[in-house]
Amino acid sequence: MIRTAWLVAKKDLLIERRSRVLLWQVLPFGAMALLLSGLALGPAHAGTSSAGPGLFYLVMLFVALLMINRSYVIESTPGTRASVQTLGLDPAGVFLGKSLALCVELWLSGLVLLAGTVLVLHTGLHGALVALPSVLVTLAAMSAAGTLYGALTAGAQGAATLLPVLTLPAFAPLLVAGERSFSAALTHSGLWEWWLIVAVALVAYVGVGILLYGVLEES
Amino acid sequence: MIKQLSQRLLGPVTLLCLALTFWLGLWVTPPDRVQGNLVRLLYVHPAVAWVALYVSFGTATIASILYLWKRTRSFTMDRIAHCAMEVSVVFIVLTLITGSIWGRPTWGVWWAWDARLTSTAILGVLAVGYLALRRANDDSTLRARRSAVFAILSAINVPIIHFSVQWWKTLHQGATVFTSNRQLLVHGSMAWTLLLSFVGFTLLFFWLLRARYRLEVLRESTQQMMLDEALLLRQREGVM
Amino acid sequence: MPSTETSELSPVAPPKSPSRSRWRSVGVLVVLGAAIIVLLSQGILHSLNYFETVDQALAQRSSLGTKVIRLEGVVKPGSISRTSNGASFVITGSKDRQVFVDAHGSPPQLFQADIPVVVVGHFTSSTSLDFEGTQILVKHTATYIAAHPKRVKAPNGTTR
Repeated sequence: MIRTAWLVAKKDLLIERRSRVLLWQVLPFGAMALLLSGLALGPAHAGTSSAGPGLFYLVMLFVALLMINRSYVIESTPGTRASVQTLGLDPAGVFLGKSLALCVELWLSGLVLLAGTVLVLHTGLHGALVALPSVLVTLAAMSAAGTLYGALTAGAQGAATLLPVLTLPAFAPLLVAGERSFSAALTHSGLWEWWLIVAVALVAYVGVGILLYGVLEES
Repeated sequence: MIKQLSQRLLGPVTLLCLALTFWLGLWVTPPDRVQGNLVRLLYVHPAVAWVALYVSFGTATIASILYLWKRTRSFTMDRIAHCAMEVSVVFIVLTLITGSIWGRPTWGVWWAWDARLTSTAILGVLAVGYLALRRANDDSTLRARRSAVFAILSAINVPIIHFSVQWWKTLHQGATVFTSNRQLLVHGSMAWTLLLSFVGFTLLFFWLLRARYRLEVLRESTQQMMLDEALLLRQREGVM
Repeated sequence: MPSTETSELSPVAPPKSPSRSRWRSVGVLVVLGAAIIVLLSQGILHSLNYFETVDQALAQRSSLGTKVIRLEGVVKPGSISRTSNGASFVITGSKDRQVFVDAHGSPPQLFQADIPVVVVGHFTSSTSLDFEGTQILVKHTATYIAAHPKRVKAPNGTTR
């Protein structure tokens, strides 16, 4: 399982490194979304608002949706999925590998956008650094959930528009817990409670993914 | 014989139960000490929510599990899950609407960001998502498998909604019927009417489910007939 | 010793045995169950509350400052007075802890003495116990009791 996971993760990341979609398409989109949220708050609130953590996670949700979609589009060439299936790879390993690759991509975007939040929305730098571990765990949980839901929509008609409808409800608890732990880091209160929630969410999504990914991929 | 009789009686009994509920609820039961006549929503909203969350979403979930379990796998299960989920969407929307109508005069707002309301709204999106997922897949096996997995994943939300009023302090009231100490918090004739409403709306669900299921079977057979006919036409073209 | 060329083409390992995958499923389920138990046992889910009770708010009075919160308490009988732009009243928690509320906007239909309410607003200063509300929400209980349990029949025969 672990070996398959490494293989799949390496394959996805290699494709990403060669195509540079994250760098040239997704990150600019994320930056623009962050700027737009500042504009939406208005000049009076953009720099002073406590909405920074929430907006950061909202932008990360959209970035994650793009990346999940991308993670399955690269396998949409006719015959790719079939040939992956005939390789007899362990589905749980495939799930872990795809989650891992997505996780690395989300971590990279998360770091950039976190810096952007500190810069543009004036969220405290110290707080953001304290929140960083919980941000990484939340994004990891997001990638596990996203991989599972991405597999549900892969190859369906209008997969790109179907994905948000199915995935965003699953992301809602992550958004809440992530935002609260980030805010708690900014105000130095009750950080551990939210930490634990996102950690449990990560375990839950990875567990459910290992159990159910095989069901989705069986033919 | 019994099956036929119960099938024939399902509709009339449902209507009778609901008519009785409305009569008792609107004319016979007394107004509440605090809520006055607003209490009459008690005979609609909890029962509708019960059907939405437990009966219909539960039916869809169990049918989905049975579909995924190899020993009970059949398209009947898939069809039941689909039809139950469709009815569930109707009841979740009704839950939100009746709750909103009740919330405005009692709480003072149509909507509040409390745990129960928010999680119920999310369940509504999940149920709609389930139907969207079905429409997006043409291959029947793939569709059945994917939607079954999605239904099971979505069902995790149901216990969260159920326990939300216990786990968190919510604006929504705590449980009236399924209280932790098994004590019914409604008095006298109001209690009986409340319980009758649960029976009535549950029967309504099964009635709707049966009708929807029949419709689905008919639709599938029509599709098959049209396909057969088209094939036959093509064959004749070849012969001519 | 096979060369690298041939090992690339050598058949892949057969699919794992069902029993192994079953054990893995059991293991995953155990971990999932443990995760949920951890979450519930810690009581941390309580942090998603819709409001703070009067007791909670007074206990953490200093850290709340003048932050906007939702404050819950029971309206003290006899304390309600209608003001030009709303109502002022006292809400109580347990052990006679109380907060004076001055709320703007018209209170909901059910607003009355002895009913639990949630007031959206903030304390007027970082130390005062006066609360300025922008919205009053009535939180009714889960109990339903007839308004007139010993009602008599009206002359026209109705009992409503």
